[in-house]
Amino acid sequence: MNKNSNHENQNHSEFLTRGEFMAMMATAGVSVAVAAAVSEVDVLRDLIEKEVQIDLQGAIEEEEMYGGHGPSGKHRWGMVINLSKCIGCQYCVYACQAVNNVTDEMRWNVYKPDVTETGVEFHMTRPCLHCQDAPCTSVCPVQATYVREDGLVIMDYDICIGCRYCQVACPYGARSFNWKQRTEDSGYQEEWGAAEVDIRPRGVPEKCTFCVHRIDRGLPQGRVPGIDPQATPACVNICPVDARIFGDLNDPNSPVSQAIANNPTFRLREDLGTEPNVYYIPPEGMAI
Amino acid sequence: MIRAIRNEYSRSPVFVIWVGLLTLMLIVGLVSGIIVLVNGLDVTNLTNQVPWGLWITVDLSSIALGAGAFSLSAMVYIFRVERLRSIARIAVFTGLIGYTGAMLALLMDIGRPDRFWHPMVYWNVHSVLWEITICVMLYSTVLILEFAPVLFDSAPVRRIFPGAPRVGHVIHKFAPVGAVIGLGLSLLHQSSLGATYGVLVARPIWFKPSLPVMFIMSAVAAGVTFVLGITVLYENITRRRHISVQVRNILGVVAGIVLALYLYLNLWDFLATSYYSHLPARVESLELLNRFAPYGTTYWLVEILMGALIPVVILLVPALRKRDGLILVAMAFVILGVIVNRWNVTLSGLIVPMDWSPGVAETFSINAYRPSWIEWGVGAGVLGYILMAYSLGLRFLPLYGGDDHHDEEESIPEPENPSSPERSAATA
Repeated sequence: MNKNSNHENQNHSEFLTRGEFMAMMATAGVSVAVAAAVSEVDVLRDLIEKEVQIDLQGAIEEEEMYGGHGPSGKHRWGMVINLSKCIGCQYCVYACQAVNNVTDEMRWNVYKPDVTETGVEFHMTRPCLHCQDAPCTSVCPVQATYVREDGLVIMDYDICIGCRYCQVACPYGARSFNWKQRTEDSGYQEEWGAAEVDIRPRGVPEKCTFCVHRIDRGLPQGRVPGIDPQATPACVNICPVDARIFGDLNDPNSPVSQAIANNPTFRLREDLGTEPNVYYIPPEGMAI
Repeated sequence: MIRAIRNEYSRSPVFVIWVGLLTLMLIVGLVSGIIVLVNGLDVTNLTNQVPWGLWITVDLSSIALGAGAFSLSAMVYIFRVERLRSIARIAVFTGLIGYTGAMLALLMDIGRPDRFWHPMVYWNVHSVLWEITICVMLYSTVLILEFAPVLFDSAPVRRIFPGAPRVGHVIHKFAPVGAVIGLGLSLLHQSSLGATYGVLVARPIWFKPSLPVMFIMSAVAAGVTFVLGITVLYENITRRRHISVQVRNILGVVAGIVLALYLYLNLWDFLATSYYSHLPARVESLELLNRFAPYGTTYWLVEILMGALIPVVILLVPALRKRDGLILVAMAFVILGVIVNRWNVTLSGLIVPMDWSPGVAETFSINAYRPSWIEWGVGAGVLGYILMAYSLGLRFLPLYGGDDHHDEEESIPEPENPSSPERSAATA
């Protein structure tokens, strides 16, 4: 009996009458016609055009302000690496390992010899690129890593759960994981300078910070990162040929902005849309 | 209580040996787990280049095989396929075991297990992994609520709390609500697990919109096949039928059709990404994988042929479906297919190095990974947990015979009977 009542309930209601059907079709047709006619009325058309322009203007302004993405802060810290100047001494690698107490297996700042398509050898180095649209920050399930107002990609070791999704997501392999609890310094301190930050705890990833501790301490003291060494990343200070330049990308007079304005530059894997804050001046023999 | 259980259930020597073996696996897992917690992930063979490995495969496979719970709950409580009520409980049980097993593996895998609760407090709504974590946690709660009536209905619990079945009955009234929520949560996170890889633009092997869909379809197919296979296995151990031929047919056809759709999607995924198009980065990655890893062989032979094509034939051809041996073969192949698929997906993206340098020197070598003994140990522990849960659950809990069993007396109602009008009226 239950089945029967179900069956009755499921009976179709009446079909549309011919009149109803025609009325629906006519309504649809008239709607399209009215919409087309209305969009041709001058007042409305101007209004739409104005709206579009406002939107465009806003987008352009935003683009100019932050390069399309990211932080709204006063500063945007960035680096220029001049591959045509780099001699491959790797001082920047060692200074970073000393100051940030980084072991050989976990280098934040890596060096690799490379060659251009035209066969010219050059020296490639890569810190964290501090992307404004960083894949590592958007995948983090707990916001333990994020793009700070001044453009730095920050790592909060106290919130991180150690899932390593950021490591998997970073297109540049810039992150290393603390697989074990370190107890000893990296060993570079004696020759390259004292460690300025604590060893990171076991179970969290780490990466180049642009020596954020120097920037955060230097700014209130009136020092300018990129100009005053006390507020500038260790790798930039030590470079014997000035191949690394640091500064505020928002300030047109900063060393980095000047270098970008006066040289051809490119960024790593721009096709991925990560918007790095590290710019490279190409080596000789590389067309960009 | 233990004596009561002992008296009630005869102890066959085979069962005792089996449970002993599983206990051994659990001890291995426990020891490995403690070693991991004490020494950290240094005891694994994971590296900065390959930070995910065996444990991710274990938890992805475990969650996929638990997908029978939401699929069948939805069919029973939302689409009202009344006949399937007889497997509603085993389906929910499968989900519960799959998800808890996955959580065990995940707890080992994260570098800071003490902070497993952080996603609940520190939200990042932009992260697909955050969405997965929240969905999995909520869905596990749903599974526990869905399973509670079964537990309250079991003989040992009833002996101690005679009123337990009543409580279970009240909770069970909300089963349709649980099924709706469970369906939503599962559709979200089962797909998002594929999206975990699919959204990573830097890895050409992964970066494609088909991965989330392929993940959920393979999970539904595998989950339903698993419930069917476990049931047939149990029937052959107890030498007694627990589900009707009709139920077996429904399960087989549903799993077979979803698996066939998965095959179809997989075919077009292959054609679109590897045959008709030639994205340089992807072509290069595939070449590397085929040269340095058994990727092509395992993909075609294990994932496609064994994991999908053969089971589809077994499940959809009535003459083959009625043979118990072939159903067990289908289950084994589907499980193998899912595990190898999750392994291949995870490792294929990580093995291929990312080239970020503007130069052309071939300095990025292909990465390698082989799980360490401790990783295998934890894996064995999770497997032992899953098998032990099934062995004890099937032995001591009323997992078959309809979900309104507690309204009736001790005897298990024959599931072959089409549900009586009163019964369907009561749940309507």
